Parts: sequence; C-alpha cells; structure tokens
Amino acid sequence: MTEISKLTELRKLMQSMERTLGLEKLSPVERDIYYAAEELSKSTQEVRTFGLIEHTLVQSISRPTFFRALKSLVEKGYLSQSGSANRGRYIVHAPR
Amino acid sequence: MRGWATDTLAASLAYVLASILTFAVLMPMQNVFFPEYPSRASLLFLPHGVRVLSAWLLGWRAVFALLPGVFIVFAYLAGTDVFLPTRLLAIAVAVLTVPAVFYLLKAVGWDLFPNPNRKPCWICVMGVGIATSFLVSGLTNLVFGSATVEYIAFLIGDISGLFFLMLGLYFAFRFADRRPG
Repeated sequence: MTEISKLTELRKLMQSMERTLGLEKLSPVERDIYYAAEELSKSTQEVRTFGLIEHTLVQSISRPTFFRALKSLVEKGYLSQSGSANRGRYIVHAPR
Repeated sequence: MRGWATDTLAASLAYVLASILTFAVLMPMQNVFFPEYPSRASLLFLPHGVRVLSAWLLGWRAVFALLPGVFIVFAYLAGTDVFLPTRLLAIAVAVLTVPAVFYLLKAVGWDLFPNPNRKPCWICVMGVGIATSFLVSGLTNLVFGSATVEYIAFLIGDISGLFFLMLGLYFAFRFADRRPG
C-alpha cells in the first residue's frame, strides 16, 4: 500500500466514524430535504422527486438549490437512486 | 525499503508524541481534577490508539514500525531499567498483541484490514482496540504484578485513548480540508 492509499484508508475509517456519531454536517436545506424524504418514505419505500418538491419543508427552496442539495445527499449516502428504470426515485438511508 | 523507513518514522513518532501528550499534559490535568485517584495510570492513554491504528493500517509491519517508539517511551519512563526482562517483556506485549489479534480474526474469517474495495468498519476497529486492551492490560499487569485498580485504570485509559485519538484525527482531517490550497 502506498503512503497516499494509507492516508485514504485512514480517512475512510474516519468517515465511517463521522456517520455513526452524526458528526457529518448537513446544510439546513439538505437537512430539510432529508427530513422530508424520511417522512415520505414511511408510507412508500421509494421517494419521488415530485413528492419531495411538494413537501411543506421543501416548498420554499428554489429548484436549483433543491437539486444541488439532493445530489449532495446522494453523494453523502443519505439517499440513493432507486434501482428501478424510473429516474427521480430515491431510497432513504439512515445515518450510519 | 523507503516505505518501511517512512512507516517506522511515522508510527514511532506518533507513538512518542501521543505518549508525551499523555504524560506531560493529560496526566498532570488528571492529577489536578482527580487528586484522590489512587492509580498512577493515565485515564486517557492515547498511545493505545496509535498501536491499534498502526496495526490496522500496517499489519505485522506495525511491530517493527512501533518498536523504536515504544522502546524510547519505556526508556524515558524507566531509565536503564528498560533492559530488565519484565520491561522487555512489556515492550513485546505492547507491540505484538494488537497485530496478533487482527491476524487471529483474519484467520477465523473476519478480515478487518483496509481494503480499497470495501468500507472500513470503525466500530470493529474499536472492538479490536477494546479486546486488545483487555489482553495488553492483563498481560502487562501479569508481567509487573500490579493491583486490580491498575488493571481497571489501564482498561479505561486504553479505550478512551483510542476513541479520543480517532476523534482527534477526524477533526485534524476536517481542519486540513478547510485550509485553502
């Protein structure tokens, strides 16, 4: 293992710790979207972008900010795109 | 060869620095806040964290990478007594136990070593840290014949030391990320 990959593995370990301890910082918009998605996921397993946009917590957020935050939540692992062919559906994951 | 030298320098330096922080900063604070505490062991023993993370990252190479650092710290604390058989045995326990546990777990099918294709499990690494703390504390107390209070203090110190070292490392990475350039 090279020095860089050792550092990468160490960072990955810290990242897994960050998730479990809830140290990862979500922006207020990301948090609102996540809470909305979590609420919607209680009735249906998958959450639709359309349903999210209409949620009271998310309504006031502009479209570009909403999609940026949605992408960030996917990157951080809080949401993942559904494996089904229909795009715009997400699965909510609990912070690990 | 250069990789070995870098690993040895980094691991031993981390061990010495963690020990200095423990003995020169944390222990005097412990004596101020818990003056009635009977044991001379640290309740926040950061070097155990260095031992665990080095073994996780370097495997059996951690034994040789940590040896100079562990020897320096023992020599600083014990002076020429570092060459007594009990001290040498304690040094061996300090450097061998954690990698041995990681390899033992690997042998029984639970490979926790870093792998680019999977996410590391910090709780598992903490688990190994706790298990090895029991072993290291038990074996060290056996070597030195210490009292039970020392054994419990070693345990608390090792476990909290590992956790806070990882937490410190996490914030260090976050701080480094925030720096421009």
